[in-house]
Amino acid sequence: MTEQVEHRIGVFVCHCGHNIAGTVDVEAVSDQANSFPNVVYSTHTMFTCADSGQQLIRDKIKELNLDRVVVASCSPRMHEPTFRRVVEEAGLNRYLYDQVNLREHVSWCHMREPELATQKAIDLVRMSVARAAKLTALPIKTVKIEPRTLIVGAGIAGIRAALDIAERGFEVVLVEKESTIGGNVAKWNHVFPSDKTGAEILEPMIRKANSHKNIRVMTDSKISIFDGYVGNFEVTVKNSKTNKEEILDIGTVIVTTGFKSFPPVDRYGYKLSPDIMTLAEFQEMDVKDQLKRPSDGKPIKKVAFIGCVGSREPEIKGHEHCSRYCCSAIAKAAADIRDHADEVLILYQDIRTYGKGHEEFYRLARAKHVIYTKFPKNAKPDVTMDNGKLSIKWHDVLSDDELKFDPDIIVLASAMVPPDDVAETAKLFGLTRSGDGFFNPEHIKLAPLTTHTAGVMIAGTAQAAKNATEAVVDASGAAAKAVSLMAKGEVEIESTVAQVLPDLCSSCHTCVTACAYNAISMDESRDPPVALVTEAKCHGCGTCAAACPSSAITMLHSTDGQILAMVEAYLCPMAPEGGGV
Amino acid sequence: MVTATEQQTVEEQWEPRILAYCCNWCSYAGADLAGTSRIQYPTNARILRVNCTGRINVEFILAALDMGADGVLVSGCHPGDCHYTSGNLKLQARWALMERSIEQSGVNPKRVRLQWASASEAQIFADGVRTLINQVKELGPIEREWK
Repeated sequence: MTEQVEHRIGVFVCHCGHNIAGTVDVEAVSDQANSFPNVVYSTHTMFTCADSGQQLIRDKIKELNLDRVVVASCSPRMHEPTFRRVVEEAGLNRYLYDQVNLREHVSWCHMREPELATQKAIDLVRMSVARAAKLTALPIKTVKIEPRTLIVGAGIAGIRAALDIAERGFEVVLVEKESTIGGNVAKWNHVFPSDKTGAEILEPMIRKANSHKNIRVMTDSKISIFDGYVGNFEVTVKNSKTNKEEILDIGTVIVTTGFKSFPPVDRYGYKLSPDIMTLAEFQEMDVKDQLKRPSDGKPIKKVAFIGCVGSREPEIKGHEHCSRYCCSAIAKAAADIRDHADEVLILYQDIRTYGKGHEEFYRLARAKHVIYTKFPKNAKPDVTMDNGKLSIKWHDVLSDDELKFDPDIIVLASAMVPPDDVAETAKLFGLTRSGDGFFNPEHIKLAPLTTHTAGVMIAGTAQAAKNATEAVVDASGAAAKAVSLMAKGEVEIESTVAQVLPDLCSSCHTCVTACAYNAISMDESRDPPVALVTEAKCHGCGTCAAACPSSAITMLHSTDGQILAMVEAYLCPMAPEGGGV
Repeated sequence: MVTATEQQTVEEQWEPRILAYCCNWCSYAGADLAGTSRIQYPTNARILRVNCTGRINVEFILAALDMGADGVLVSGCHPGDCHYTSGNLKLQARWALMERSIEQSGVNPKRVRLQWASASEAQIFADGVRTLINQVKELGPIEREWK
């Protein structure tokens, strides 16, 4: 190390109540930190994120003229924004702050090894202090937000979100790949908990959406290119009928691409006979008159519903989840059809009628003498067909009996799974997916509607299997998120972007091909042309910096020097002051 | 003068030092979840957060081994799940060459492990740390062996 700039670093070690201090000797960590290079102050506090902890940081920055702050507490994914704000309030640039993860990465996963955990904590703080000494202040940049929302998918969630945003006075572009809007719900003949058809429920919403001055509906259309960044997306929409493309300037995005009803091929003889159908297909049958059997048109007298078809199958990838709508939906459907049929059975694995008003359906079905019979998890009912006659055999758990039933039709409550083009959508918007195949929210509890792509929200069954009521709740929530961004008018963006050192660039174009965002181009005004980063397009991944054979690219806030300083601090620490080996 | 017994004790007490480069969006979050889920794993690894595994240069690995790390873990998003769409694929494309460089520097490539662990795969992350530690323990403390 040639340059030796003196810094004034403050280290704050957090107890997090008993969470960290119960395993890690926080006093020892704080004492050790005092001996690290450039550290002028080190302490340990009960809850650093609490008001008193925050105040202490601000006070010490001013009192001791600290120019770097390290907090050793929880995951930076949790409180980095909090402490960045705190140091900023005390006049320090937010990029001069660094956080050590002593809770998720130390105390909680090494609970039975307090001494080794403390050693690890000391190493991590030493690494962070070394990094802090190398940090540089970066400008805080804001960008304007285009007051227009793109909604992808015009099902019940998409339409609800569109109306909410339009009512608030912002423009909405509602894109739907089908020729009509309304999605899955529009196809159903009754939607619980109401007695209305899906079309009846949606009709006023669709009418309003089609006529609203702030809403532009684009049917038969798909997004072909998604470019830009929060507040300033450049979206190309392609009409599948005319093949015409249009480029739109968009501020925020809500993805409401919905679900597909799982076609349960290979389960319970589905497709063997037209009399074996999914709940979605059953919902599309006309219920007004006497129901007729699809195969021969005879009246339906005996009906069997089977639950958890393609749901809650832990051994099958993409089918581990509970689809959440089916227990309540089959209770309602069974209760309704019981008025026209002599015998209605529900074969179930478990019953979860959890929502508002759903328990009432279960009771209604029971009151109408719908028969509930539980089958074991590992021995699903066996459906056979003999001369067009259906038969189900299963083991009833509660009576411990082998049972048999010959229904006229079998209705399979099939799972909600993501639509076929979900991978394409995920790639387009930079979204990740969870085990059930649906999109991951930014945080499962604290931020269920936003995603890791800033400015892109998810709602409805694009996020997880759920019923229409829940999808609408999501939609209004996501709309509020979009509106709050647009109402502010501008948003701060990360300054952690790539920078080219023109003198080192050898014009090899490696970085141009490495960048996934087309953020690097060649500056033709120079001879020879050198690489140039368009900062607004850079997402800060650093792939170009690693690929550059001339080390001509600096990743701000993640420089080679900052990273290697941490490596060195861990593996070849300097002898503590006053000691020495 | 170190006696044979003392030497043996030192070797028995030796615990490998592991540096773990984790991407912010998948593996770092997976390690967070391991903590939140109270999954217990050995303390040997020190996690260094990078935005994306695509940020990782072979120099970062060679420098760590040079400075005495007994093993280096690189953990990122699954192919296709990269927060930056393809940074992990760029790393994967470089990986064969990186392993070759490590070998040429006289280090057994078994001291380096590349793994994919998503934000929900806490157990896979913890198991990966354990796997590398066991691999490194079999090899013993870091040393150069030019062939």
